[in-house]
Amino acid sequence: MSLSRREFLKSSAAASAAAAIGMSVPAELEAAANKAEGGWRWDKAACRFCGTGCGIMMATKNGKIVAVKGDPAAPVNRGLNCIKGYFNAKIMYGADRLTQPLLRMDANGKFDKKGKFAPVSWKVAFDVMEEKAKAAFNEKGPEGVAVFASGQYTVMEGYAAQKMMKGGFRSNAIDPNARHCMASAVVGFYQTFGIDEPSGCYDDIELTDTIVSWGSNMAEMHPILWSRVTDRKLSDPERVKVINISTYTHRTSDLADSEIIFSPSTDLAMWNYIAREIVFNHPESIDWDFVNKHMVFAAAHPNIGYGMRKAGEKSIREGKYTDAEMEIIKKEMKTIVSEKEAPALAPYGYKAGDEMIHNKPGLKHWLIEFEEYKKSLAPYTLEYTAKISKGDPDESIESFQAKLQNLANLYIEKGRKVVSFWTMGMNQHTRGTWVNTLAYNVHFLLNKQAKPGDGAFSLTGQPSACGTAREVGTFTHRLPADMMVKNPKHRAIVEKKWQVPAGTINGQMGQHIMRIHRDLEDGHVKFAWINVCNPYQNTASASHWLKAAREMDNFIVCSDGYPGISAKVSDLILPTAMIYEKWGAYGNAERRTQHWRQQVLPVGDSMSDTWQWIEFSKRFTIKDLWMKDVKVKWGKKDMKAISAAAVKAAGYTPETTMFEVLFANDRAKSYKKDMNDPINTGYDDTESNGDSRGVMGSDGKEWAGYGFHIHKYLFEEYAAFTRGHGHDLAPFDVYHKVRGLKWPVVDGKETQWRFNAKYDPYAAKATKETGNSHAFYGGFLKVRPQGNLNGIKKDLKLSYADKPGKHYLKNKAKIFARPYMDPPEMPDAEYPTWLSTGRVLEHWHSGTMTMRVPELYRAVPEALCYMHPKDAEKFDVKQGGLCWVESRRGKVKARVETRGRNRPSRGLVFVPWFDEKVFINKVCLDATCPLSKQTDFKKCAVKIYKA
Amino acid sequence: MKTMSKITIGLVAATLLIVGCGDSGKAAPTANAKVAPTITEASLGLRKTDLYSEDTTVGDMTMYNKSAAGSSMKIKRAFQDAPPMIPHDVEGMLPIKIGNNACISCHAPEVAPSMNALPYPESHMTNFRAVTSIGQDGRITKNGVSVDNTSTSTRDQMSVKKTSHLQGARFNCNQCHAPQSESKILVENNFEATYTRESGATKSGWNGTALTDQLDTIKGEAGKVTAADIANANSAAGSLAH
Repeated sequence: MSLSRREFLKSSAAASAAAAIGMSVPAELEAAANKAEGGWRWDKAACRFCGTGCGIMMATKNGKIVAVKGDPAAPVNRGLNCIKGYFNAKIMYGADRLTQPLLRMDANGKFDKKGKFAPVSWKVAFDVMEEKAKAAFNEKGPEGVAVFASGQYTVMEGYAAQKMMKGGFRSNAIDPNARHCMASAVVGFYQTFGIDEPSGCYDDIELTDTIVSWGSNMAEMHPILWSRVTDRKLSDPERVKVINISTYTHRTSDLADSEIIFSPSTDLAMWNYIAREIVFNHPESIDWDFVNKHMVFAAAHPNIGYGMRKAGEKSIREGKYTDAEMEIIKKEMKTIVSEKEAPALAPYGYKAGDEMIHNKPGLKHWLIEFEEYKKSLAPYTLEYTAKISKGDPDESIESFQAKLQNLANLYIEKGRKVVSFWTMGMNQHTRGTWVNTLAYNVHFLLNKQAKPGDGAFSLTGQPSACGTAREVGTFTHRLPADMMVKNPKHRAIVEKKWQVPAGTINGQMGQHIMRIHRDLEDGHVKFAWINVCNPYQNTASASHWLKAAREMDNFIVCSDGYPGISAKVSDLILPTAMIYEKWGAYGNAERRTQHWRQQVLPVGDSMSDTWQWIEFSKRFTIKDLWMKDVKVKWGKKDMKAISAAAVKAAGYTPETTMFEVLFANDRAKSYKKDMNDPINTGYDDTESNGDSRGVMGSDGKEWAGYGFHIHKYLFEEYAAFTRGHGHDLAPFDVYHKVRGLKWPVVDGKETQWRFNAKYDPYAAKATKETGNSHAFYGGFLKVRPQGNLNGIKKDLKLSYADKPGKHYLKNKAKIFARPYMDPPEMPDAEYPTWLSTGRVLEHWHSGTMTMRVPELYRAVPEALCYMHPKDAEKFDVKQGGLCWVESRRGKVKARVETRGRNRPSRGLVFVPWFDEKVFINKVCLDATCPLSKQTDFKKCAVKIYKA
Repeated sequence: MKTMSKITIGLVAATLLIVGCGDSGKAAPTANAKVAPTITEASLGLRKTDLYSEDTTVGDMTMYNKSAAGSSMKIKRAFQDAPPMIPHDVEGMLPIKIGNNACISCHAPEVAPSMNALPYPESHMTNFRAVTSIGQDGRITKNGVSVDNTSTSTRDQMSVKKTSHLQGARFNCNQCHAPQSESKILVENNFEATYTRESGATKSGWNGTALTDQLDTIKGEAGKVTAADIANANSAAGSLAH
């Protein structure tokens, strides 16, 4: 490749040619370098990508972004970004940005599900959406209208969507892609702490002596946190130990002192082994004072299924699943206990060969004695654990045992601080909730949790999985700030704040994201709207959902910046403002909330998700949505209409629109848009003010803005839910003056270590009388029955309870007994190899943005099938050659890589999912953790052969 | 060049198809206007093949540059101070391990010129992270100063320490710098780099005072958090009680 070929001179006519063919060169050359001088405006913003939540500085000139750098003032990343972070500069400028709504239609201009796309106005787009949503609502009730929501929503977008769905449509059929990334972490938090989100913060990295990464490739997925780990390791290489626990070798291993390659799903066994070492072999290491004051022990049923479809569901009855698929799906109801899992299940009364009937799903759990917990740990001897966990067939058992022993020793060592990090490996797991709770067990027993430099720390994948999906609560089961749809008191609080009549919010929920797909396949969901996610590329068993979208009688709307897979299979595509084309806020994995201002105008006629939701709300009156009885519980129950009297009492008429109730009420209008406020001066606000593009809006007239500060209103109203009970967010204006704050923010001060009385004002308050060091004050699942490993015992009184029956564990957390269990699909003679999927550093999720950045595309233009050279030989495939990766559900072609950044042992292959052309989710299995409903993308069985 | 023009024409046509009446936002069709639906599902996006079968679909082959380090042409930066991409073969240089970082052996400033390599710049030897510790009173301290918040509204507490060695945080070179496949890109990117410095496309200029320039995104006193900001008295929705 010669310089002359690289250096295309850019003229407007040659621009596309240069970019289309030009090699790895930005076309700008000396000419460009000489002409530009100053005129740049720098502003702070949050990175668009992962849950780390780095701060960036962004330069704009003439209404376009021209540069990005790491923000040296941002505490998370201190002047450094990863490669994706830097290329935030270019993600909005792909030439195929959607600029107008596109509708499938026939030659007469009418919507036609089988038609091709044509551009339509925003007005036509909303006309069709209104018609289709009303039809779905009237036919199927609130469950018929669903939203694929996102952990990449800004806080305000998520709040607007949630408010319209739960307050307007009375529908809980909204669930984010974050379900796929950290639902198991959340259920783990709820079951253990009674409240969501981590106790620690990123400063733990600089304060700890030991970093253990559990099934998480931090080096690629949280690169800036990994840069902090690296810095810490290099600063004191002897003292600081880094352990990487993984099912295959990857970049995180490259820095590690010890790499433990384990067999998929056996992380449960390894955590229990460490706990067993503590309890059986090093009882002196247990901090009994801490444990007695702060802990109880708990158990639950093991026979909970695997989150797949159940026998008798409509699409199964209709034969939509092949015999091969059913070989696995039937395990949802019944399995035979294997030799591998039998010892682990022995304390629960099972032995190898027993039938296990999976009829005990759900979150139910009860309290037990320490001795019962100890009984559950007994099987996890070094010998048993190593036997089932060793993941590299070429490693000796002695070597693997030594590593496990060393791992346990590091945790146990007195005075050694330990942080355990994990993300998808432990969350995307058919026993994901269980394994999350097991992490806390070890830290709790040793009193190494919620302290500086000590703690089990669940990292998030997405930039606002915490800030929006979890904290705002865009899940089917949640309301803002840890409140629950199921809880009538919580619904009442929200109804009051939203100024909607009592009983408006539907208490019936359950349409998590897999259920929405399955309901579409069953014909129960008739209208689905995709926001800031790509559910038709990111969901396992993908062929089923593609088919359901295209062949069932339904209407799918996709809001996106680019035409990804989901847009392609939709009926209506809405051009959507991207990240820096709107005001926004994200919340990262250390509870840090970060805001930014609109940097540039959206491309074409794009408008933000917030605007789309609010404009949609104009199309529905109270009469349309609240004043009729509707079917719920999949048609089995009625939900009553809100009475005319109640509507009147709330100050509305049947003709009042949802826009007036939910978004343009008097309170909203009190948030004036003052352009002299230095926070606003000089910055566009398309939603509040309109903008110079003069886009024709949803009513066919030029968009002129809401006339008040809609972003501040949405944020402040949402933040109100958080203030005063442990989630406190700071005021909107404060966030524009700082580089983020970690909630709870009380009196302007952030919280470093939650539940620790020294750092968390809520814990300080709760421990005022006891003088305890900690208070695990979360209030959820804190009144529990008593029993033993085998179930609830009504008459039993535990040593730490004062009477039999339900016990209230005030300010305490739980240590859970959880067994190792096999996943539903494991390698066998026909499908002999494990498949794990995941991400790569250079691409974000489905690649919709990053594959359009030339530098990122050229860094990794394709998804490779990483495998061991001996496996390649065995399967008769060659380095760089094509292979088929085939499961019971489907197959894809990919090129073989035996020498790359990921280096699996024999018996496992890794294929990332960012590449539309290597559609690996057609191969994956949609089994989930039955408690969290999070899909296990990390393990299924495949065969590999030459393509 | 023949191939190029063919592809150009194809791309222009495809672009027109994809964005429809891209630039004519104000002339968007109304409810009554008939616009022939011409945009097929397959024409949209990066994957132009049938979505419902995999027989004819393969990923875009990776073709990294094979020229040896020191002999390859440098790649211009994507924009000012953007991390430069790797123009040479990296086979045998990865993985980067503690005690074995092959990148440093050529890109350290003291050896770079003799290796015909780009030296890593001043920013890579600057530590922006304050020393974090727990003070005697148990409070978190940054550079020995006890702090309420790890983020502040002023730059007073920013730590900028220049050193003469590569910072540990920047040890993982391939976190920011990647080799580039000689593939033709799938979609044009309309980002336009402009430079405030003549050497902006070739050299890092993020050094000296520029390191902390422009960080006050709300200028002067107005950018500082006040008691009134924290009190938030004017926020009608701001607490549950309201």
